Amino acid sequence: MEHMPPMLAHLNELAAGLFVVVALGIVATRQVRACLKFFVLQSFFLASSALLLGLAASSAHLMAVAAINVGAKVVLLPWLLRRLLKDEVYTRREITQVVSVPISLIIALGLIVAAYFFTLPWLDAVSATGACRINVPVGLTGLFLGAYTLANRREALPQLLGLLAMENGAFFAGVAIAPDLPLIAELALAFDILVVAFVVGVLTRAVHEHTGTTVVGALDELREGGGE
Amino acid sequence: MILVAIISIPIVAAVFSAFSRDNRTPGILTLASATAVLGLSIRTVSMLLSNSGHVVVGVPHWLAVDALSALILLLVALVTFTASIFSIGYMDFEKSGGVRRYHVNFNLFVFSMLAVPLIQEPNLVWVAVELTTLFSVLLVGFAGTRGALEAAWKYVVLTLMGAAIALLGFMVLYWAAHHAGASRYSWGGLAVLSPKMPPVLLKAAFVLILVGFGAKIGLVPLHTWLPDAHSQAPTPVCALLSGVETTVVLYVILRLVPVVAPVQSIHADTWMAVFGLVSVGVAAFLLLAVRDYKRLFAFSTVEHMGIILVAVGLGGTAARESALIQALAHSVTKSFCFYAAGSVLLLAGTTKIASIKGLMKRSPVAGAALLFGGLAIAGAPPFAVFLGEFSIIRTGIAKGEYLVTGLLVLFIAIAFFAIMNHVSRMVFGAADDAEKALEAPRPLPNICVAALLLAVVPVALFGVYIPEPLGNLITLAAAALGHGG
Amino acid sequence: MTNRVLFNILQALVVLCFSPLVVGILNRLKEIVQSKRGPSVFQPYRDLLKLFSKDEVVPEESTWIFRVTPYISFVAPIFVALLIPVLTDYPLFWAFMADMVGAGFVLALAGFFATLAAVDTGNPYGPMGASRTRMVGFLAEPIFLLVFFTVSFVADSTIPFIVQQKWVHPISNFFAPSHILLLIAFLMLILAEKGRLPVDNPSGHFELAMIDESKDLEYSGPSAALMKWGGWMKFMVLMIVFLNVLLTPWGLASTLDWSAVLLAIPLVLLKVLGFVIFLVLIESSLAKLRLFRISEFMSAAFVIAVVAMLTSAFSW
Repeated sequence: MEHMPPMLAHLNELAAGLFVVVALGIVATRQVRACLKFFVLQSFFLASSALLLGLAASSAHLMAVAAINVGAKVVLLPWLLRRLLKDEVYTRREITQVVSVPISLIIALGLIVAAYFFTLPWLDAVSATGACRINVPVGLTGLFLGAYTLANRREALPQLLGLLAMENGAFFAGVAIAPDLPLIAELALAFDILVVAFVVGVLTRAVHEHTGTTVVGALDELREGGGE
Repeated sequence: MILVAIISIPIVAAVFSAFSRDNRTPGILTLASATAVLGLSIRTVSMLLSNSGHVVVGVPHWLAVDALSALILLLVALVTFTASIFSIGYMDFEKSGGVRRYHVNFNLFVFSMLAVPLIQEPNLVWVAVELTTLFSVLLVGFAGTRGALEAAWKYVVLTLMGAAIALLGFMVLYWAAHHAGASRYSWGGLAVLSPKMPPVLLKAAFVLILVGFGAKIGLVPLHTWLPDAHSQAPTPVCALLSGVETTVVLYVILRLVPVVAPVQSIHADTWMAVFGLVSVGVAAFLLLAVRDYKRLFAFSTVEHMGIILVAVGLGGTAARESALIQALAHSVTKSFCFYAAGSVLLLAGTTKIASIKGLMKRSPVAGAALLFGGLAIAGAPPFAVFLGEFSIIRTGIAKGEYLVTGLLVLFIAIAFFAIMNHVSRMVFGAADDAEKALEAPRPLPNICVAALLLAVVPVALFGVYIPEPLGNLITLAAAALGHGG
Repeated sequence: MTNRVLFNILQALVVLCFSPLVVGILNRLKEIVQSKRGPSVFQPYRDLLKLFSKDEVVPEESTWIFRVTPYISFVAPIFVALLIPVLTDYPLFWAFMADMVGAGFVLALAGFFATLAAVDTGNPYGPMGASRTRMVGFLAEPIFLLVFFTVSFVADSTIPFIVQQKWVHPISNFFAPSHILLLIAFLMLILAEKGRLPVDNPSGHFELAMIDESKDLEYSGPSAALMKWGGWMKFMVLMIVFLNVLLTPWGLASTLDWSAVLLAIPLVLLKVLGFVIFLVLIESSLAKLRLFRISEFMSAAFVIAVVAMLTSAFSW
């Protein structure tokens, strides 16, 4: 990990940069379907980073992680969501957002910078070199941007994607800083992602059947002093 | 082997419930599985104690139980047992569809909660915690009403968001352990290595996990989902969510205490005390404002989680021991409170405090249970919660932490006043005639009464007498919370 | 020395002569993608010939600005063509005059005059289109600057000839995230600046929806020819900057040698052809954005440029 060939290092940086850009895409895009595509791309870049680090360290383990990621998030997850959420949820619709797109993007840029300065002391503490210096700040960025998506979106599916993007961020840091987690843990994590998608999908369908909409941000009946 | 059995029994029960033909079998299966798990858990605890607190290993490096996890295991098993009894009566009474679905989810939920204390690999523990959310979400939204779905949505979104933050925390923890030269990543290994880990990383990991899982146990400011979820779910599930799910997640945070407490620069004690105090304070004032008695008990959960964190934050073996007593007391009492609340709901059909009056006259059992539960959870002597809170305050004063202890006493007093104010308004007084006419006299199912009676035993007992094996277990668990493992 | 001057003139001539052909190929390809035959690739030349041989009509209310603008629009891209690496990877005689920021200013000057001229006519459609062009321009300007600053930050220079070497030596630099992200941002800029889809529809003839095309609505005869030709050259200059400086700095002459420089002409045209095909694919698969969505398109480009800058600043 410490001495990556420059080509792999640059490719990993590229994966990191594109990872951030698609995270911004998830923040900003107006269509539910595009949001899902961005998420799939993000997972793909996560897998590429795992693969590149695996190549650099000649670690079959990391390559397996890449394969698991592709299988679970690039192939199975969109299929699962497509099965669960039929066209009515999926239609090309502009998503309502709390904060407008350009302001969201500015905030997102601030979060990127913040993530970098948050992680700087961590990196210095272990005098990290190589991939860690890239993957950790980018991972935290992914986490932040996912959380922002979650807060800013009012539709069900984009909120779910924000959640999964947060986990992607954690994984992105993970492939560099925890490269040899037991494979069973990796499998469990991938399984977990699918369960998340399944459960939230079922819940979304229930919400849609019950209220005729998937704008979960409009659900605000329960609160103190309020009530029916 | 016994540990493998404990976590596989609920799965087996879930599978069989899924394939059962009629509506009664799943309930009986659930009860049978809960009984078996309780029996095996008691057996595990006795093995542990007879071995003077040595770790009981299930699968080397993966499944094992020490005193702390045994205590949590016991709590989960105990509350699951009473909840499964109450479930039978509750589901009969509700007559809503989806009995099978309910029991499948119930058993899976129990499985995930049992897995948390048993698993040794922190990343898998994270997965187990995440599964506790995922398997309980559909139970929270079980009623399918707008409110239930809203609660389920908030629950899943906020807790999974917290979980993602905690995941990064675990990754950073792994990084720190790796840097300190760990070959294996397990709870025990972490505590041994902590002096060698870079404090900055350790602190980052701890704060990320505290904030992330703090969402799951309802720490302010990520507490907003908790009263919704804990009040909209079916009653037995409320008991599990409020009584043990929170405790189970708290256990994961407590697991980090021996790792981070020895490192001075992290100020882990301060973090926990501040988070805890803020939660207790906010919960105390929100308790004054509630209008729904299930939310009342849910906010009381936020309060109790805060109290336990403050206690752990005080530091020292005595404080840790009283924190564990408080956790024990909270689990048994809160589950009882929800059974009481559930009984009231079955009778009155509403969860609004204002619409219920003179409960004592209408149903002495439900009224007495609610009064009893209210007193017990608010911390009146001689109940278990009182014992826990009293010993926490005593340790706080002994340690000279006057500010923290003083605030804690103030908040507990406010909460006490709030809970008793609401409960007494419901229990006493004359029943409105209009109310009476409106509601058909439905008798409480016998099985619910049985669950209430069973659940009340530990509530009453632990306040005056903690059985010696249990006392030993708590002492050992408190020792495990100290550093060095 | 003589060669440097001659090559520099040749360079400007290449842009001058081949830009109509590039646009002709682009239009033909678009038609072919839409299953039509389309006009000949030499149609733009015929258009120019036709326009040059026609009489010119000038609005009565217009001032000297209206009359001067075509010449500025025509000369500015030629001037820029003298500065940038079109055929050679070493600076030629006039390259000292300005760096990339300077070239950007020269192109912006042409745009500025085109706007003034559109307002100058008093025709209602002109100012409307001009104000839209300016809106896009205002949004594009900060991105242009960001791109240039990032480039200069990475390469420690704003001279295109130095920048161009930086990305490919060593070749792994090509995959630096700042490079790839800059490419994306710059591509979006070209689309916006030259009024291509999805920002503007270049083949639309409906005045109300026009953005970029509307500014030469009032011109006729030779002035119209100059305006059009200038626009095409600007398009080609932007493409060449994109290709020769940022994307594929290969195939350029590296010696002061006639054969090498002459060989570079077809190679550069080949690259431009490849880019044109890519552009056709983009334009055929996207719909035009609504006017107020353009700011979002531009903010996406802006954000990508900022991320590019951050990646190099944080040395990801």
